[in-house]
Amino acid sequence: MPMNIDDDQIEIIQEFVTESRDMIEQLEPQIIELGQDSDPETMNAIFRLFHSMKGSAGFLEFDHMTRVAHAAENLLDLIRNNEIELVPDHVNLLCSACDFAKEALDMVENNYTDEEMFSAADIMAEQLHQAIKLATGGGEEPNAAPDIDQTTEIVAATELPQLEINDEMRQTFVAEGLELLQNAEQGLLAWGEKSDNPEALADLFRHMHSFKGNCGFFGFASMEKLAHQMETVLDRAKSGSPLAVDNPADSLLAALDLLQNAVTELSEGRDSAIPDIDEHLVELQKLLPPMLGEILVEEGVEAEHVDAAVATQKKPVGEILIDQGKASVDQVSAALKKQESAKIAQKQQVKQPAPRPSSTAKKQDIRVDLGKLDNLINLIGEMVIAENMLINNPDLKGLELENFTKAGQHMSKLVRELQEMAMTIRMIPVAGLFRRMIRLVHDISAKAGKKVDLVLLGEETEIDKTVIETITDPLVHLLRNSLDHGLEPPDERVSAGKDEKGTVTLSARHEEGEVWVTVKDNGRGLNREKILEKAISKGLIEGDGSDLADKDIYNMIFMPGFSTAAQVTDISGRGVGMDVVKKNLEKIKGKINVSSTPGEGSRIDLRIPLTLAIIDGMLVRVGETMAILPTLSILEAFRPEKEQITRTPEGDELVRVREDFFPIIRLHEILEKKPDSSELADGILIVLEHQDDRFCLCVDEIVGQQQTVIKGLSDFIGNVSGVSGCTILGDGGVCLILDIGGLRESIEGKISKQETVAEA
Amino acid sequence: MSGSSNAVKTVVEEFENEDTQKDKYLTFHLAGEDYGIEIRFVTEIIGIQQITEVPDMPAFIRGVINLRGKVIPVMDVRARFRIEARDYDDRTCIIVVNIDGTEVGLVVDEVSEVADIPEKNVEPPPRTGNSSGNRCIQGMGKIGEEVKILLDVQELLFNEEMQKLIGDIAED
Repeated sequence: MPMNIDDDQIEIIQEFVTESRDMIEQLEPQIIELGQDSDPETMNAIFRLFHSMKGSAGFLEFDHMTRVAHAAENLLDLIRNNEIELVPDHVNLLCSACDFAKEALDMVENNYTDEEMFSAADIMAEQLHQAIKLATGGGEEPNAAPDIDQTTEIVAATELPQLEINDEMRQTFVAEGLELLQNAEQGLLAWGEKSDNPEALADLFRHMHSFKGNCGFFGFASMEKLAHQMETVLDRAKSGSPLAVDNPADSLLAALDLLQNAVTELSEGRDSAIPDIDEHLVELQKLLPPMLGEILVEEGVEAEHVDAAVATQKKPVGEILIDQGKASVDQVSAALKKQESAKIAQKQQVKQPAPRPSSTAKKQDIRVDLGKLDNLINLIGEMVIAENMLINNPDLKGLELENFTKAGQHMSKLVRELQEMAMTIRMIPVAGLFRRMIRLVHDISAKAGKKVDLVLLGEETEIDKTVIETITDPLVHLLRNSLDHGLEPPDERVSAGKDEKGTVTLSARHEEGEVWVTVKDNGRGLNREKILEKAISKGLIEGDGSDLADKDIYNMIFMPGFSTAAQVTDISGRGVGMDVVKKNLEKIKGKINVSSTPGEGSRIDLRIPLTLAIIDGMLVRVGETMAILPTLSILEAFRPEKEQITRTPEGDELVRVREDFFPIIRLHEILEKKPDSSELADGILIVLEHQDDRFCLCVDEIVGQQQTVIKGLSDFIGNVSGVSGCTILGDGGVCLILDIGGLRESIEGKISKQETVAEA
Repeated sequence: MSGSSNAVKTVVEEFENEDTQKDKYLTFHLAGEDYGIEIRFVTEIIGIQQITEVPDMPAFIRGVINLRGKVIPVMDVRARFRIEARDYDDRTCIIVVNIDGTEVGLVVDEVSEVADIPEKNVEPPPRTGNSSGNRCIQGMGKIGEEVKILLDVQELLFNEEMQKLIGDIAED
């Protein structure tokens, strides 16, 4: 490994690491799918993963990674060509190859070398080879040399003709292809200006090479041919031999344009074939100076002598030949002249590059440092506050400012758009997270000897990236629990009259301005008695707990060290996991709902607030205090008539809205403030909805609606019930944002009573 | 080369900062007594401003304020020591302290000055009783005839009793 690594190389390595990680993440679930049904497309995708990893790793001289990827590729190739049959062991092996690659990538990221993976790579590659040997009946060991160029070509050439290319694949190819071509173009332009930069050339060569590989894989023959020819020219340039013209970049650029055009055509669903491909190939061929040897052969020198000379070539070919007495000085000098004139002839033929194609890539993305993004989003948050301060400035009160108001509205609209945009930037679909779980479920179910179907729903639901990171661990623990404790072993299931195969559903959806991630299984459900017993033995509750609601009991599983498992398995049972779930959810101000039906399964909802924390809020006033209600939870607001209000003997108040009765909470009681009037009929009732419960909040006045940037109350204060955070108002004052769930809980006791009243 | 000299400079600066902050206390009045807190915890002093109350808080957490876009909680030091409350006036100040990234405002009657109290002039705290108020005392600083009660900010903000108080309330 080169010890002195410059910044450029580090950048390339980092790019390689991120790309490979992405790829592995995408493909891991597919590998597991492979075990279930071997769809040729999936197979190809996986093959591509290892192939490109091998290529890139080879280029960057991470030999150990190359070796393993190559071995995996060999195995896959055999399976793909139906030479050997896929067995579950292969899936496991490929999974561990992915693990190895991940580990190696971690190491590469830190040390820029995979040297330390030496022994692990040996083991891994050996296992893969064993598998191949075993499957092919001790047949011929495939060539394990990490010769990238050679294998790529073989792969390109032996590509399955029946490969089905769907639109998604085509799009990926187009996006990737255009990116590669653009990189190549930049490289070419740079090279054209300064032709003695070997690194730039190597880079350029790599881009072309990858592009060619892609073309070959998809069977776009004409593009592949052209790219191959370009690669040959670049290869020649890279090895230091002079090209036939002084400025080869122009011709190469022209060829590049052809490729770009072809890819663009392809993206629009048209044929990718390049017209007059042969002509262009010849054009490029001219860039290669005829080798001296070839001319000499024409002059009557024995071809094998020339070959031998070329092989040992250190001095110019001509000199060697003369030294060896195989050619006369005259012959050589004549040949040299011929070579010279060929060069001149070609110089005159240098073509102007074709006009740039106007349409470039359709879809592009860039990687941005998360820190920068956070700063941007914070700034936008501050801007929303500043905008509020400006529009609702106390100095403007009572003034009729028509133009100002108009400008203000315009600005508000822009700020809101900006905000929405910023919000979506950080959001990524949960699909990635969910797919990672496929692997987990596969591993655990194998270990625990259970049969499981994992159903993923709502994969397209988008959640803030940091939230996804925070709920990864909780999900792992929840799934482990479901699989290990929740689902019964197959025989037990059968005797309970259930399908032998258990089902675990992982779903995500939007609900009341939150994202709900749910883990549901159809196993045996939580055991109330067992939990209670444990809680009593640990002294967590007093008495026999018979007065506790199911919900309270189920929530005990989230206490640290709490486990009802009779024995600790290597999957779960130490009672740490659920504590992690709770802690992580608290971190993102999420909540957990547990519900369970004995014998039918359990369900755990992770309720995660949409972060970035800008919400639509309704500003309400009680006495002199302001508070904000999330607009999403508001159903309606009205001024009640005396007749609508009923008082129960317990002193609770109910309001009748059409056919329904809702309990009333007075905000001033919660905030401990003095209201304008304690008569309900003087105030305003706001009907709020929380999950399926509805209730009314009594306030003095609704002040208005505004965009609200949620700020956390300081950690020092911690979580306050009934308050989800605070925001800064136009006048600079801090205003509390009410938590509807918390408010509802404050009347939880009342609700059950009132329901009976309402029914009566 | 320049890198290493910079590093040296930063270290020296830090050293000097440490040095200049050593033994320095911000002193303030509270109910007729003089108190001091180590200057290194103090970020700024602001006048009293509109405080938004937060429900379910112990009495000494007055609420939260807006400090240039940051929302920070405010503790009334009088209430913290169970000294009788009095109305805020134009001399009432909020001392903003920062401990390990947690910013808290302390409401005091009046800020007086930054005083230099060398270690030798600091007596250990009196060992009378074990009330939480007394545990917050770091030492008694002497400046001539005057005595300043030096507070341990860490203890003032985070002592167990208080965390428990807040915790209990939050769990209710």
